[in-house]
Amino acid sequence: MSSQGSVPRYVAQRLLLVIPMIWVLLTVVFVLLRVAPGDPISASLGGKLSAEALADAKHRAGLDRPLIVQYFDYIKDVATLNFGNTFTDNRPIIDVVRDNGGATLSLTVGAFLIALLVGIPLGLLAGRRRDTVSDVVIRIFGVVSYAAPIFWTGLLMVILVAPTGWPTYDIASAETKFLVEPRTHILIVDTVLAGNTDAFLDVLQHHVLPCVALGLLLSGVFIRLVRVNLLQSLKGDYVEAARARGVPEKYVIRRHAFRNALVPVITVVGLQVALTLGGAVLTEKTFNWPGLGNQLVKYIVAHDYSAVQGLVTFFAIVVVVVSVLVDIVNALIDPRVRY
Amino acid sequence: MNRRRGLLAVASAGVLVASLAACGSGGDGDGNDGSSSGGSSWTLGTTETVTAMDPAGSYDFGSWNLQYNIFEQLMVVPAGESDPQPDAAESCTYDDPQQITCKLREGLKFSNGHDLTSSDVKFSFERNIAIADPNGSSVLLGSITDSTNPDKPKLADGAIETPDDTTVIFHLNKPDTTFMKVLTSATSSIVDEEVFPADKLLGDSDVVGSGPYKLSQYKAGEQAVLEKNDKYAGEREGKTDRLFIQYFSDPAPLKQAIDSGQVDIAWRTLSPTDLNDLEGNDNVNVLKGKGSEFRYWVWQLGTPVGKQKAVRQAAAYLIDREAIAKNAYDDTVKPAFSIVPPGFAGQKDSFQEKYGDTPDVDKAKQVLQQAGVTMPVAIKLGYTPSHYGPNAVDEATELKGQLENGGVFKVSVDDAEWERYQTLYKQNAYDLFILGWYPDFLDADNYLSPFLRDGGFYGNNYSNPQVNKLLDQELAETDAAKREEIIGQLQDITAEDVPLIPSWNGQNVAVATKNMEGVEETLDPTYIFRFWMISKK
Repeated sequence: MSSQGSVPRYVAQRLLLVIPMIWVLLTVVFVLLRVAPGDPISASLGGKLSAEALADAKHRAGLDRPLIVQYFDYIKDVATLNFGNTFTDNRPIIDVVRDNGGATLSLTVGAFLIALLVGIPLGLLAGRRRDTVSDVVIRIFGVVSYAAPIFWTGLLMVILVAPTGWPTYDIASAETKFLVEPRTHILIVDTVLAGNTDAFLDVLQHHVLPCVALGLLLSGVFIRLVRVNLLQSLKGDYVEAARARGVPEKYVIRRHAFRNALVPVITVVGLQVALTLGGAVLTEKTFNWPGLGNQLVKYIVAHDYSAVQGLVTFFAIVVVVVSVLVDIVNALIDPRVRY
Repeated sequence: MNRRRGLLAVASAGVLVASLAACGSGGDGDGNDGSSSGGSSWTLGTTETVTAMDPAGSYDFGSWNLQYNIFEQLMVVPAGESDPQPDAAESCTYDDPQQITCKLREGLKFSNGHDLTSSDVKFSFERNIAIADPNGSSVLLGSITDSTNPDKPKLADGAIETPDDTTVIFHLNKPDTTFMKVLTSATSSIVDEEVFPADKLLGDSDVVGSGPYKLSQYKAGEQAVLEKNDKYAGEREGKTDRLFIQYFSDPAPLKQAIDSGQVDIAWRTLSPTDLNDLEGNDNVNVLKGKGSEFRYWVWQLGTPVGKQKAVRQAAAYLIDREAIAKNAYDDTVKPAFSIVPPGFAGQKDSFQEKYGDTPDVDKAKQVLQQAGVTMPVAIKLGYTPSHYGPNAVDEATELKGQLENGGVFKVSVDDAEWERYQTLYKQNAYDLFILGWYPDFLDADNYLSPFLRDGGFYGNNYSNPQVNKLLDQELAETDAAKREEIIGQLQDITAEDVPLIPSWNGQNVAVATKNMEGVEETLDPTYIFRFWMISKK
């Protein structure tokens, strides 16, 4: 039996491709940051120091070294998993990922749950009732939720909700963040581990607005995807065959059409991770969410080379790993993918 | 049947969440319920960022303000005043313009119980200079620095003498009457030599000081929690046992947070539009104190237009500062008629004296005609659209309109983001460009030397030997009256030569809920937010 098309070989190929992908990305980020005008010293102290003092500060920071030297140092560090420290606030990059990654994770997971809870049932309903009023309404909802800028949706939600006293920013109240010991650095999990009901509810409340804002954006994709796939499935031979066998329509739809319509969702969930991380940046900014996206924006504004490189690398690794996982799952489900 | 299974699943999920939520006792296990035993805790919201808690690693508002509350300096500027008063020191006096002797208070202790002695003071300055962190402010300690090797600056030999545990003698390498003010700045914070490394920064969460508060928790970019330092025995005793500082990445959520009472105080930086909007909220007070923020337009003397004194003077005749304050900043700033803001010793409104307080088109034309300059004079005005806030574009637009009044100037406006802007204005890309300034310490010299000596920090090619001489004189002058006179002369020369045109002075603005006390009192030109003065009813 030929090894061509085997799952291990396919997985190995995909994993090997990860290395050049990340290298290209790191190089692009490095070059883009350097060709953009400015540097971290000028960004923070340019309005204070003389040209000579600025040059001294840049020299001490090693920013006046040849670019090629900086590049190879950077690649060498990354290869040894040394991401260094942020320039502007002197934090180890690993600590930034650890301290802020939990907030981004809980935001994206919450948003995905909302997207799936909203998107799949509405998509199935729209496909089932094609060209009825409910189908049209759901389709419009799907387009609007996908097209509306997240900062606009978020701001609107904040303005509407703020007068009720519902928390509109951050992941928890100041007291909760002070009292709950960071064990996993995923605050909602830490509140459970601490057995603190008030803190848990506080964190849960804080998650509602940002998760809904980001979840609605994602739900638009799922609505349209599930609807189209259901319509395709309903035209399938196996559906016709089931009907011909006299299987009741509701069973035909539920057991044959629905299940097959959901298979492509797995692929799209993987692809949506990148979109979600992009959306998380805007969501975090809007809701002052202490996640990696908010940190990334802060460091970009400050021209913090090492921080941006480190965080983009992390984001890239997450997206690549999820893509590979999705490919593997797809390969397991659908043998055609492996060939 | 299936519907029942679905309902069951939903109900199970609900029970699971509820169980999860209820699985604990509701406490944190140590009996800490988050409330303070003393004054009610309160929360400050700010968009400022913290570069480092270590005084050797920062030169920014966000870091310095925490350091003022966590550390002691030898001297301190009390709220609403401008003259330094003793803090960790019992006294600090100039023996001559190059020597200061400080006597420490007896029994000083850091919050960890270690004794604070003159050795800690010397160590603090020594490490600050030696570390020379690129983000740090050791540049302010030039009067005690040996920069012979720029790669390895160090405390000058014999610059600090500590004859006993409570005496510190500074020997300055040049006459410097501003050094006493430097001693009040956060860069002069006293750190524990048993805790802080001599050659590198200490981690943010590990800092230990002897100020009225100690840092109990710090989550970078999220929040800082300060608690009262029970070892502190000075005059800055805190009124609140525990307080929170929450960091906002954007003014919009900060405005919403104070508007809805989710934070007790919002300080730095809400836009003029937000402040005006909050004035209509009955639950908060918009509090305004004197500020020392300074906005000004710099003439680039390296350009053919900028080098003509008559052109610079003509522009000074045309400025309507009241209109700029009103139209660009909703009257949240005050017109500035001098390079030195009001309230500083020696300040005088030299530009008002020379050019009047309202625009005078005829005088502007007359100056240009006498110099033989053809009108309209084409100039390029530069500004940066976001570094100084969203209103910079309004200011540039207003200025353009004023300069073009009567056909005196023909202005083209150009903008660039901050990083590119800095390069452009030094490369003579603009004839006139906008910049802003916050003082490092409250002394008129901090508005004179950085601006006027040999082109200033912005490199505008202005150089006047008489100015340089006067700057040296005022730095060395210990007689207050004589010094004020020299500072006045410097402002007059600036008005005559017009290397820059003062635009406005900012106010120190905070928004606080009605039950906050002591906020207004701390809003002064130092921009030190004195947490120890603030309490919540």
